[in-house]
Amino acid sequence: MTNAAMRRAQLEALVEAQGGCRATPPLLLPADPYFDLAGEEFGRRLLLTSDLTGAEHCLRPEFTLPIVRDYIADGTRQPAAFTYLGPIFRQRENGPAEFDQAGIELLAQPDGEVALDQVFTFARAALSIYGLPARIRLGGVGLFEALLVQADMPAAWRPRIRHRFGHTEAMERLLNRLEAAPSAPRQEQPARDVLIEDVTARMVSTGLSLSEGRTPEEIADRYLEQQALDAAHVPAQTLKLLRDYLAISGDVLSALRQIEALAENHKLMLGAPIRAIRRHLDKFGEAQVSFDAGFSPRLDYYTGIVFEMTGRKGEVLASGGQYDRLLERLGATAPIAASGCALWVDRLEAEVSA
Amino acid sequence: MTGITLAVPSKGRLEELTREWFAARGLTISRPGGARSYLGVMEGEPDVTVRFFPASEIARELIRGNIDIGVTGRDLIHETSETGPEAVHFARALEFGHADVVIAVPEAWIDVTHLHDLADVASDFRSRHKRWLRIATKYITITRQHFARAGIAEYRIVESLGATEAAPASGVADIVVDITSTGSTLAANGLRVLEDGVMLKSEANLIVSRTADWPEDKKRKLNSLLTQLAAEPL
Repeated sequence: MTNAAMRRAQLEALVEAQGGCRATPPLLLPADPYFDLAGEEFGRRLLLTSDLTGAEHCLRPEFTLPIVRDYIADGTRQPAAFTYLGPIFRQRENGPAEFDQAGIELLAQPDGEVALDQVFTFARAALSIYGLPARIRLGGVGLFEALLVQADMPAAWRPRIRHRFGHTEAMERLLNRLEAAPSAPRQEQPARDVLIEDVTARMVSTGLSLSEGRTPEEIADRYLEQQALDAAHVPAQTLKLLRDYLAISGDVLSALRQIEALAENHKLMLGAPIRAIRRHLDKFGEAQVSFDAGFSPRLDYYTGIVFEMTGRKGEVLASGGQYDRLLERLGATAPIAASGCALWVDRLEAEVSA
Repeated sequence: MTGITLAVPSKGRLEELTREWFAARGLTISRPGGARSYLGVMEGEPDVTVRFFPASEIARELIRGNIDIGVTGRDLIHETSETGPEAVHFARALEFGHADVVIAVPEAWIDVTHLHDLADVASDFRSRHKRWLRIATKYITITRQHFARAGIAEYRIVESLGATEAAPASGVADIVVDITSTGSTLAANGLRVLEDGVMLKSEANLIVSRTADWPEDKKRKLNSLLTQLAAEPL
């Protein structure tokens, strides 16, 4: 056996050894659920094809969604563990569109933190098969949400800021806009019913349905809210807090200390989410762990803690975390804890030969 | 093979303007087989083979390297493939075929004037309406790239191959991404371009394929042709 084949066999063994069910979703999957879950940004990575009826299918672009959908359809709600290893298909700038991914999904586990530890252990074991040191980058979705809830600002700004978390440029643009907010005296606001009437007239005259899409009430309300927001400034101190927080990046212990200091200055209670991160650190041993306050996948179903393990040149070798909102997004009727990660097998092998 | 293949639009105003543009620089393109022939010649340039193609095919073939140089809109290069602009060299703009690819929303959306408003509307559209915000366009690639840069992910594209401006009124989509030179068609359909809604300014360009084969002598011929046309050499 070549060394590469040996590593592959060991990875197979690791995937089998997790005590879960080995998932093998079909290669050809309906494309719509992916667009529904992740939007066009992920959609453009799909390899699409259509059948005789015109329905769109894609070659399996990842494993999590079909695994979780089957789990929900099953309706058991029992704790479950799934692992996988096999080809996925995505449009990429570099490298072939077909490549292998391995991973683990832990659903409805009694303790979400213990489950995340198992995910970390799995990812580190995979890296060690390839003789690679673990460089771990952590992000705190739960931490940022806790900070945002407590930060002093008009409530309507919170979802707007949350929505941009993980997209550095979009967040930067929003913070700049908030800082530059004009303090010009406001004009008298039109009354809501006058506005609704005006919007309705415009919609009718241009042939827009009043009920299929945005309604006149929704537009008028957002217009008034927007006007109010332009006047309702986010305090300069809060903007500074957000900037200072998002800039924190580096060794996990010193990053968490900086966040604690920031929390103390601004009288924020961030003890619980910080402790949640600390609790996992003993599991990392010698690994080089950093925390990046602005790091988050751009998908709103992530919660709690997220992570990446990177290679020599910063390529992502493993990524995952907690995504307690995913199952609800896919149709579960109650929140169900979920955590997991995916490994980029071709990149792991490339790190060895590099 | 050291001959150079030049592709020009096969019909309409674009064909006329292209041939006029070359003629004004002393290079007459003729179509010996008549308007139904797809092969032409450039008088006095025996090394140049002229082919007549639809403009969107010119973009595709330039990116693939099946033709050497061509005249087509910048928008089509960006739309045909995400890596299209890297696969070609824009040798010069031809000062016609001006049009912008823009984001337009219903005029009645008085609360949406900028892209950041659209980001807000898109982000809670699904929870309000049980579906994604829908964008009608034929510019799928350009839209996806631009929206990704703007941090907007919560939308669905509805492919529209004609009369895109009618999509909101017919209920097919909520907003549009369309090409416009004056904005009058959009306005006539009750649509308003966002203040920062110009995604791409396009015009007809003389474009060189970087993926075509360029042996030394062929490249020399190309560059002398480009110099004659006051275009930037490869």
